[in-house]
Amino acid sequence: MGKPKVKRKSTLIDMTAMSDVTVLLLTFFMLTSTFLAKEPATVITPSSVSTIKVPTEDLVTILVSGAETKSDGTINRAVEGKVFIGITGDSDSLYSSENVRKDLLIEASRLYNERHPNAPVNFTASQVSAFSRLGMFGLPMKDLPAFLDMPTTEQDKVMKEFNPNVVGIPINDNRDINTPNEFQIWMDALQRVAQNYRNNGRTKDNGDTAEPTNKLYDAIKRSGEGIAVKADKDTPFSTIHTVMDNLQTMKLNKFSLMTALKSENE
Amino acid sequence: MAQIEQSDKGGKKKKGAQKKMQIHVDFTPMVDMNMLLITFFMLCTTMIKSQTLSIALPSNEKLEESQQNKTKQSEAITILLDSERDDKGHVVAETDEATGAVYPKHIVYYYEGKPFDVPADQIDKDGDGYVDNDGTLKLKEARFRGNTAGQLNGIRAILHERNTQVLAKVDALKEQRKNGEITEEEFQDQAKAIRNDSTLTRPVVIIKAGPNASFENVISALDEMQINQISRYQIDNINGTDSLLILSYRHAHPGK
Repeated sequence: MGKPKVKRKSTLIDMTAMSDVTVLLLTFFMLTSTFLAKEPATVITPSSVSTIKVPTEDLVTILVSGAETKSDGTINRAVEGKVFIGITGDSDSLYSSENVRKDLLIEASRLYNERHPNAPVNFTASQVSAFSRLGMFGLPMKDLPAFLDMPTTEQDKVMKEFNPNVVGIPINDNRDINTPNEFQIWMDALQRVAQNYRNNGRTKDNGDTAEPTNKLYDAIKRSGEGIAVKADKDTPFSTIHTVMDNLQTMKLNKFSLMTALKSENE
Repeated sequence: MAQIEQSDKGGKKKKGAQKKMQIHVDFTPMVDMNMLLITFFMLCTTMIKSQTLSIALPSNEKLEESQQNKTKQSEAITILLDSERDDKGHVVAETDEATGAVYPKHIVYYYEGKPFDVPADQIDKDGDGYVDNDGTLKLKEARFRGNTAGQLNGIRAILHERNTQVLAKVDALKEQRKNGEITEEEFQDQAKAIRNDSTLTRPVVIIKAGPNASFENVISALDEMQINQISRYQIDNINGTDSLLILSYRHAHPGK
């Protein structure tokens, strides 16, 4: 009797199908992903029953940093209430994020220099283009040129250190529109930029008599959806009220607060 | 990685026939790499988009007294918000006795109409610096507790009671939407019209946040306005009278 032949089976598994699936998944994730914007401070927004989605275009985010909880449980209040501004433009290349940011910086520096004729701040072309690549900024105007000259890694380092004496757009509870603080100068510049876009901008299809429109202008001046205040849930409301008062002073009475979703029962 | 197998079954072959070749390409490294990429994209994506709560503040230009809208006292409810914080500054957590759920300790004080029903010189007859707790102090305390099994709790029940006329109409409208009689858009328009219908008894809510009150607390209060279909509310600054009311309340109800 001969030995029964043990058939040697190949252990090769055909990975083609698996590869197909993974490529499909990969494509899905690549197309649906919107990258988490690099934000200088991490905040946990409070929950609300409101279901209005944050717009993805024409959005000005005002980030208010929260207090930092140290490893021993104590709270560092010095880093609380620092203000940062993030700008997102249109899908229209004329009003893209980069262009809006550029125009905003030029306008804001012009307004700033009107206020501070003794210490004017001027930006070179390369500094302006560096600014247009910043997702979110928050530094006093006088420190901006030096910051913009740094390479990106250095910029990140400054933001990561989060020295409360260095970062944050200067803000106070000024209510006089004629003596704006730096945050109000930025908001004023934003409104002027949007107004300019509207004046030179696309007109409605129904003839020349129609009012000129601009999506950024409508978002920040009309619906109020274009300005979103983002703050941590444990931040004292008085800190956020200061920001809201500043917006109110700049006649930006309508805006939105960023929240996470929760059900009505909670 | 890629192998070319020659099938050789030992049988005789016709001359000139092409040798059959099977090509195996090992896709394992490709799959490995794809998985890594997928993981990367999954971690970098924000699947949950943030929501926004839109608010409109009044213009802060000074109005003449004749232009100001005076709120009827019977309609006004003032809400004073406070969050209890420990000595480190964290918001204290508390357990709800009825449900056993843990909430951050956001306290809602409220009073209806004017802060006092008596003249200002009679609020502290015993002279201890606090408002007397013999009915002079109208302040009451509540919490944000949502609903349990359809039952409204805390401040929501109180606000609900003040706005029953509007809520009854909106509920009827919601029923219509559920049955498909009206579209979502029609619902929004009609609900808005009901909320702003001046023939109905509607409350005016004044929200004031104390120095300890957290952002979450104010958002919760704004949420209650939305849930209870209250269209008239405003955010105001806390003043000395409000602080005195809270201090007096704490004095009269120590240890709570």
